[in-house]
Amino acid sequence: MPDPTFEALVERHSAEIYAYLWRLLGDPELASDCLQDTFLRALRAFPRLRHHEHLRAWLYTIAMHRARTLLRQRARHESRQRELTDELADPHASVGQRVAERETRRRVRAAVGRLPPRQREALILRRYQGLSYAEIAAIAGGTAAAARTNVHLAQERLRIWLRPEVGDAV
Amino acid sequence: MSRTKIVKAKDPMQAVDALYAAGPSGTTVAAAQSRLRAALRAQAPQVYYDVLPRSTLGAVYLAAGPDGLLAVGLATNEPGFVRRVARRTGAMPVRSTERLRHARQQVDEYLRGKRSAMQIDVDLSQVTPFQRAVLEAARRIPRGTVITYGEMAARLRRPRAGRAVGQALAHNPVPILVPCHRVVSSGGELRGYLGDRIGLKARLLKLEGVPMLGNRCRIAGRSGAGR
Repeated sequence: MPDPTFEALVERHSAEIYAYLWRLLGDPELASDCLQDTFLRALRAFPRLRHHEHLRAWLYTIAMHRARTLLRQRARHESRQRELTDELADPHASVGQRVAERETRRRVRAAVGRLPPRQREALILRRYQGLSYAEIAAIAGGTAAAARTNVHLAQERLRIWLRPEVGDAV
Repeated sequence: MSRTKIVKAKDPMQAVDALYAAGPSGTTVAAAQSRLRAALRAQAPQVYYDVLPRSTLGAVYLAAGPDGLLAVGLATNEPGFVRRVARRTGAMPVRSTERLRHARQQVDEYLRGKRSAMQIDVDLSQVTPFQRAVLEAARRIPRGTVITYGEMAARLRRPRAGRAVGQALAHNPVPILVPCHRVVSSGGELRGYLGDRIGLKARLLKLEGVPMLGNRCRIAGRSGAGR
């Protein structure tokens, strides 16, 4: 079987890696920059790669590390998240509804942003990218059990932080 | 009697799912992919390759960049050759019969004995200055003659560098085109060609009309085969 070429790799995995970065960074433009950064790094490392069985996990790992670096560099990250939340806004909602929805999204986004990186990454990989705990362990390092714990802790924290305030539930 | 409205509190994770589950829209993904492809295209120089499948030396792989032929693969396979070229150039080579047609045809004719010289640009920009000097010197050895590693070192005014010359030739990226097979050890013995493919070296020398006796050849200006 011929080696999978890098172009095939781009076609096969770029949409999935982009979705991951979009969720992790909360900013379509920043996610797009990070996607380029990820694949350019992968391109340089690809010829030296000896094992081609775990390319998807390998790309996820590069993307995860690039995203961490970008998040550290972007102190203004919080203010840029508006773009993603606007993309999701329902155009048919009333002004009042839209304000309330935007506020909810802001709270959710801020809560997810408060999670320790490993928990945030594990939660997104498991719950939204659909990866198994073993796959998460291969990407992030550590064990499948640790990945499961990270997802569990992330959900537990989010449930506490996003608990409806008194009067909100009614 | 006052009525109490009992509302079951929603799982807060539903709000998280609402934001994250759907993922980016198709248009957003397509725009990001298109930017990615453009960035990758701008990054990598284009390298093409093709194969001459059944020559007297077996399959011969050829790879060329914008400045000429930069790799010839003998005794290898397609994945191995692609990987080697990619490692050296940093670009993933793309198979193209069209781009290699000219070079492939000349190499084919040469190996079938129908052509005595090839007019193909060779790109040696990826090698060290010393190796380039050695390979350039090898290109000046006429067809049908051989010289020794020591003689080549002397020609380069580095008389003690016979071993380094051997190493430089052993890593010749474009065998056949740069005729490293025309350099032999002092006794006329064929030592080392792509590792231990002495047979390929002997076949090339025979093709060029060099008198052979087993794995020895006659060195120009000396009598008898070998010593």
